[in-house]
Amino acid sequence: MHQTIAFRTAWVITRNEPDAEEAAQDAFVKAHAALGRFREGAPFRPWLLAIVANEARNRLRSAGRRTGLALRVAEERRPDDAVPSPEAALLDSERRERLRAAIERLPDPAREAVACRYLLDLSEEETAAALDCPRGTVKSRLSRALDRLRVELGEEVQA
Amino acid sequence: MSELESRLTQLGRELDWPATPELAPVVARRIREAEAPAPEAESPAPAPRRHRRRLLPPAGFRRSLAIAVVALLVLAGGVFAAVPNVRDSVLDFFGLQGATVERRQELPPAPPPGPLTLGQRTTLAAARDSLAFDPLVPEAAEPPDGVYVERAVPGGLLSLAYRARAGLPEAKSTGLGLLVTEFRGDLMPEYAGKIAGQATRVERLTVDGHRALWLEGAPHFFFYRAPDQPFREERLRIAQNVLLLEDGRLLVRLEGAFDRERAVELARSLR
Repeated sequence: MHQTIAFRTAWVITRNEPDAEEAAQDAFVKAHAALGRFREGAPFRPWLLAIVANEARNRLRSAGRRTGLALRVAEERRPDDAVPSPEAALLDSERRERLRAAIERLPDPAREAVACRYLLDLSEEETAAALDCPRGTVKSRLSRALDRLRVELGEEVQA
Repeated sequence: MSELESRLTQLGRELDWPATPELAPVVARRIREAEAPAPEAESPAPAPRRHRRRLLPPAGFRRSLAIAVVALLVLAGGVFAAVPNVRDSVLDFFGLQGATVERRQELPPAPPPGPLTLGQRTTLAAARDSLAFDPLVPEAAEPPDGVYVERAVPGGLLSLAYRARAGLPEAKSTGLGLLVTEFRGDLMPEYAGKIAGQATRVERLTVDGHRALWLEGAPHFFFYRAPDQPFREERLRIAQNVLLLEDGRLLVRLEGAFDRERAVELARSLR
């Protein structure tokens, strides 16, 4: 259950599949070794994601790469009973693409916050753990990121 | 949540995320290596993958590539037993695309028995037209007695119901000889799940090159997660022996009172 979210969190940070996989592998191994330090009763996922993100950041630093997320919108994501008209589908596709491109243009901290909180649907606590910052910082980064996205998308979105 | 936040969350569901690699075997191997440096045996070769480099441990762990055999149950009993407080969470890690197996120390209360909720009854031909995948039917069984489609699941969820008959004894869990369930695991990651107690046998298999999990023994629970509420367990019910099979993007589930060999035979005959 955790491997997908761990891998995707690592990928959001490393922006590279092989690095993300190795970071996730390392994280699970290190998490296992550190189980004795896990606080009983605490939620497991934020703890794990903090380890995953730390491994991912280490790889990003050593690789020295600064590339975009290369997010792509999947072609097939609709239930059969909700097939839109070609015009509506095109409009939806263009709106998604504009949003995706606007996310790509965000500064790294804001983009990572948006990716973790919304694209990965992590909780605030999990996002803070993944970004290694307080929840207040997550909130302020998200607030600035949303403001910027609204400006970029213009009247397309409501405040 | 603002409209923009809703759009961002929706975008996350629609993104073409890179396929999650199979992490469990490598992680299990590395944990075993760290705890017992002397290898016991050679593990089966992993299936060819696009990114071969990813299967290698990073530099810090390359001291040994000799591989120990680590089966799920060995790992569960031998490694995680020492840390029962987090064992359940760690074991969440194992699963197939579209389904997970979660082992718990204590099972949830048994839900009251009720009728199966399989969706709308239809025909196989109609189901083929309405699903986002080509249905697979076990040729080792007769044609299904009932075909059902649940449209609320992205891509659709197909259920094939078979009455009990020779070779397909009645399962207490369903009242059927065989219940086949199919859905697009890639569209609904971790949509279906199992909650298994410590007495349930969980075995990883390969069926004609496809990854599979076999669950047998003490009753375990089967649930679907609501598509719009991914973390809420619902439709919890006791399940009998189950084979979960990943065939490309499709997740196939066979439930019945049959043994593993019969389940594998049925799975191999899926066409």
